[in-house]
Amino acid sequence: MEGLISKIQRYSTKDGPGLRTTVFLIGCNLSCLWCANPELIAPGEKYLYYRERCVGCGKCVSVAADNSITLTEKGCVIDRSRCSNLKECASSCYYDAYEKVGYAMTASDLCEKLKRDKDFYDQSGGGVTFSGGEPALQPEFVMETAKLLRREGIHTALETAGLIKKDRMRELIQQIDLVLYDIKAMDSKMHLACTGVDNRVILDNAMMTAEMNIPMIIRLIVVPGYNDDKNDFYNRLQFIKRMGKAVKQIDILKYHRLGEGKYLRLGLENRVSIEEPSNEYISEYVQMAREMGFEPTIGG
Amino acid sequence: MDFLSFIPKTKDCDFDRIKRAQESMANRRATICPERAEIITEVYKRTEGEPQIIRKAKAFAEILERMTIYLEDDMLIFGNQASANFAAPVFPEYSFDWVIEELDAFASRTGDSFDISEDTKARLRKLEKYWIGKTHKDEVNRNLPKVNLLAEKQGVLHKGGISMSGDGHIIPNHEFVLEVGYGGVKKIALEKLKSNELDEEQRSFYQAVVIAMDGALTYIKRFSSLAAKLANEERDDKRRKELEQISEMCRDYMEGGARNFYEAVETVYLTHLLMMIESNGHSFSFGRFDQYIYPYYRRDLEEGRLTKEKALEIITHFFIMTNSINKVRPWDHTQYSCGYPLYSNLMVGGMKSDGTDGTNDISYLCLEAMNLSRLPEPNLSVRFWEQTPHSLLLDSARLIRKGFGMPSVFCDEVVIPAMMTLDLDLETARDYASMGCVETAIPGKWGHRATGMTYINFGKVFELVLNNGVDPASGIQLIRLNGKEGREVSYHTYEELWSAWKRALKYYFDLAVQCDLVCDRSLKFHDADPFASSLIDCSLERGKTLKNGGAKYDYVSQSNIGPSTVGDSLAAVKKLVFDEKVLTMDELKKALDSNFEGEEGARIRQLCRKAPKFGNDDDYVDHIVADVYESYLELLPGYRTDRAGRGPIGCGYTMSTSNITSYVPNGFDVGATPDGRLAGKPLNEGASPCLGADREGPTAVMNSMSKLPNDKIAGGQLLNMRFYPGALEGDDNLEKFTSFIKTGRLKKIFHNQFNIVDSKVLKAAKENPEEYPDLMVRVAGYCALFNTLMPEAQDAIIERTEHSW
Ligand code: SF4
Ligand code: SF4
Repeated sequence: MEGLISKIQRYSTKDGPGLRTTVFLIGCNLSCLWCANPELIAPGEKYLYYRERCVGCGKCVSVAADNSITLTEKGCVIDRSRCSNLKECASSCYYDAYEKVGYAMTASDLCEKLKRDKDFYDQSGGGVTFSGGEPALQPEFVMETAKLLRREGIHTALETAGLIKKDRMRELIQQIDLVLYDIKAMDSKMHLACTGVDNRVILDNAMMTAEMNIPMIIRLIVVPGYNDDKNDFYNRLQFIKRMGKAVKQIDILKYHRLGEGKYLRLGLENRVSIEEPSNEYISEYVQMAREMGFEPTIGG
Repeated sequence: MDFLSFIPKTKDCDFDRIKRAQESMANRRATICPERAEIITEVYKRTEGEPQIIRKAKAFAEILERMTIYLEDDMLIFGNQASANFAAPVFPEYSFDWVIEELDAFASRTGDSFDISEDTKARLRKLEKYWIGKTHKDEVNRNLPKVNLLAEKQGVLHKGGISMSGDGHIIPNHEFVLEVGYGGVKKIALEKLKSNELDEEQRSFYQAVVIAMDGALTYIKRFSSLAAKLANEERDDKRRKELEQISEMCRDYMEGGARNFYEAVETVYLTHLLMMIESNGHSFSFGRFDQYIYPYYRRDLEEGRLTKEKALEIITHFFIMTNSINKVRPWDHTQYSCGYPLYSNLMVGGMKSDGTDGTNDISYLCLEAMNLSRLPEPNLSVRFWEQTPHSLLLDSARLIRKGFGMPSVFCDEVVIPAMMTLDLDLETARDYASMGCVETAIPGKWGHRATGMTYINFGKVFELVLNNGVDPASGIQLIRLNGKEGREVSYHTYEELWSAWKRALKYYFDLAVQCDLVCDRSLKFHDADPFASSLIDCSLERGKTLKNGGAKYDYVSQSNIGPSTVGDSLAAVKKLVFDEKVLTMDELKKALDSNFEGEEGARIRQLCRKAPKFGNDDDYVDHIVADVYESYLELLPGYRTDRAGRGPIGCGYTMSTSNITSYVPNGFDVGATPDGRLAGKPLNEGASPCLGADREGPTAVMNSMSKLPNDKIAGGQLLNMRFYPGALEGDDNLEKFTSFIKTGRLKKIFHNQFNIVDSKVLKAAKENPEEYPDLMVRVAGYCALFNTLMPEAQDAIIERTEHSW
């Protein structure tokens, strides 16, 4: 069983307890306006172009079919809609100006690799986190890897936005020790506007996971001007209250701009262009959560 | 005040004055002091014909009687090395020509500059004539075989400090000094002198010890009068009382053992200082400070004479004062060790020799003191093992998080077995301490130079292997790997290449040992150090200096630079040329010769860069790097030191990857390498991965490191990691980082040190040094103020992989 992944991030400290290795899987069925991992949304391999590494030798330009790459003052301009052989262009570059995102790996190879940091997981109470993209879109692969990890005594977590069929979800999370569940908005219109999808299934699955009593960490991103309506945030917290004991922690995630460069390098349009929120801004949301009896952590 | 975990309960520690002292010490300017040079020249002229050790002792004593002394304003710890704070004394007996040659250049150096007055220059120039042909360096040059000089020209060997300065690199038996005092040591020597069975060497030795200890005691008494005088003039009540106390104490202080905690700490400082007036070696270290100081602390505490706060104040003053000491090196050596380093290691924590844990209040107070003093010396290290309290590691992590590179951590479960590979019993091995940067020794029992003998540039040796022994830069060929003259050589299999490496390494190791011996034999005469020798076990008993076999144990190690560069290069050749055959050896060599120029060069460099690299938990290359270590370790049993058969246990070689900043200048000499490194760029630091090669994060680095034979590297294995500050933010991340350090036990990590500075800050500091006067970074086993480093070393630190995720 093979999966398509972009990156294996060791010494991750933000994706669950302890020191973890986070596996980023490619493909997502949401399309959040503020997504910090645009290279992980569409399925398949992608190529990032790093202008600062390009020496302007023109090699990729000559390899490109239909003149789809042109060399300009500002480096190579790639017409991705026309370029039919970007893979060849990218591999013709001797200066690593193109970086490929996405490679296939079998569950057992992946497990072998993840096992290498077991001592660190054990010492710190950590483990492995499947993230993305939406890892639940490759359920067989995740399940198989998780099973292998379980056999090794390695704790697993799944970071999900929860938009998959209920049965699939149930089957998948049974192999997982901790679910990091993103709830991006309560109001369905707001959700649709921000992520491109309706949130009914997402909320249903969240409740189901809680009822199955699988430990959960709920992640609440706050993006100024998009989903930061206080009422809606309050409703998110209310919903979490109803989920009960399975919820061990809530993380309030601050919008950050670290993903901006990737849009540029992928030739995509960056749809959100705002300042990162201040600590004072975020503290109001933290305060709200505290008032409802939560002890939120702040991440981003 | 921002403490690690300390909560002051009394007002006994004056934090404001610590702040003032810290600031003034951080802004100190290095100068040169001519006094010592003048006095020793006079004494040497007067004592010609007398035994060398007597001359050294007389000079030492007279320096202490006549040199300018002063008390640093408002400090509790006293004793000065030269006529002004951070002034470097001059040691003409070891080497003097470079001092004269560089007199006009000291002030304008790009790193480690020294202000020097015209008066000082003139005074030093006057002494020049006397020393011509008489120094240690002259003696070394007379005896060094020509072939060694050629190997130096090739850039393979570098003789470093051993060829032109004192030896240093010892941890005196502080426990013993605290118990008997300098007076007690003198008594032992006097007692020995009553015997009529002494040979000439022994008689001179004991006489010299008496003279040296008398000198030390006179020096102390001078402070009694000085402090009394200053007390008279002092308006501030509190300070006047302190001065009166110093004056009273110095009337008979050190005639016997230390009488309380304050005296004990002052003694440790003074002993350190005196060794650094006697000789200009460096890496004189403090050993397990928390272990030998604790009894004095506890007694004073129990008897109500001391509070924890006062103890913290005294230790902090001691830490700050260790930064008043200085050493000037020639410019070409400075590049090997930037940042005015003295490598005075001070160690806390760890297992006691009985196998229980030794952590105590002093361990924590030292971390707090470092948090307050924030200066490069002492070089603070923490030992840890299974039973180390979590709180000690947490405080260590908090201190590391502050970003000045300390403490470094040593893992008992790795170091103790490594020490056991030498001829030590378990109890002795458990008592190890770090010395200098990362080398290890048993305090009070080890002779000079556990490390830092001749430097071997592994990167250069590898370059020679690819060129049949010819150095492409100088054209010099000392060894013909295929039996023929000239650069042409073809390796048909990896095994052929590997065996050529082994042959070349052995050839240069032989030469390096030859160099060690020449230097050692000369130092035996020129570094006859009665004061320091008498503070190491067995010297007083045997009546011998350390250099002539006085120490209980004697192991040395050289410094090996670039094992990861070599391993990565071998792996690239193996994979690209022999396994996958995507390149021919000729294509590769052509690309290396041209420093990867042109399109073809770029193509090949990309292949080289994509080959497996050490530090990414990739067995293919990690095992090759381990082979590189083994190829050196294998050679060790064949070599003995000059002291063999004269008393010490051991007298053999160990391995160490402590190589200070030498990986930068050593890189200058090495052409492009098959790992994709460009000509002239730094080699890897210590045992760390090559700059920027580790792309899988710190756990992968540790996993790679764990595949090396760390527990055979008794001389110290250096790993330096850089973390982005955010990776340690908040309690949660701090805990994770602490558990990361702890996992080092399971990964056989000998030593680990961390730089937590944002590369943005470093770049800014390079641009605007005035704005960052106290930005301290971990260099290579020691810490230095960033601004004192030369630009290339600054770049290397900026480039070192930043672990941010
Ligand atoms: S091949 Fe690489 S370096 Fe050359 S123009 Fe294309 S991207 Fe730039
Ligand atoms: S769910 Fe995550 S990966 Fe998917 S679009 Fe939204 S932010 Fe991006």
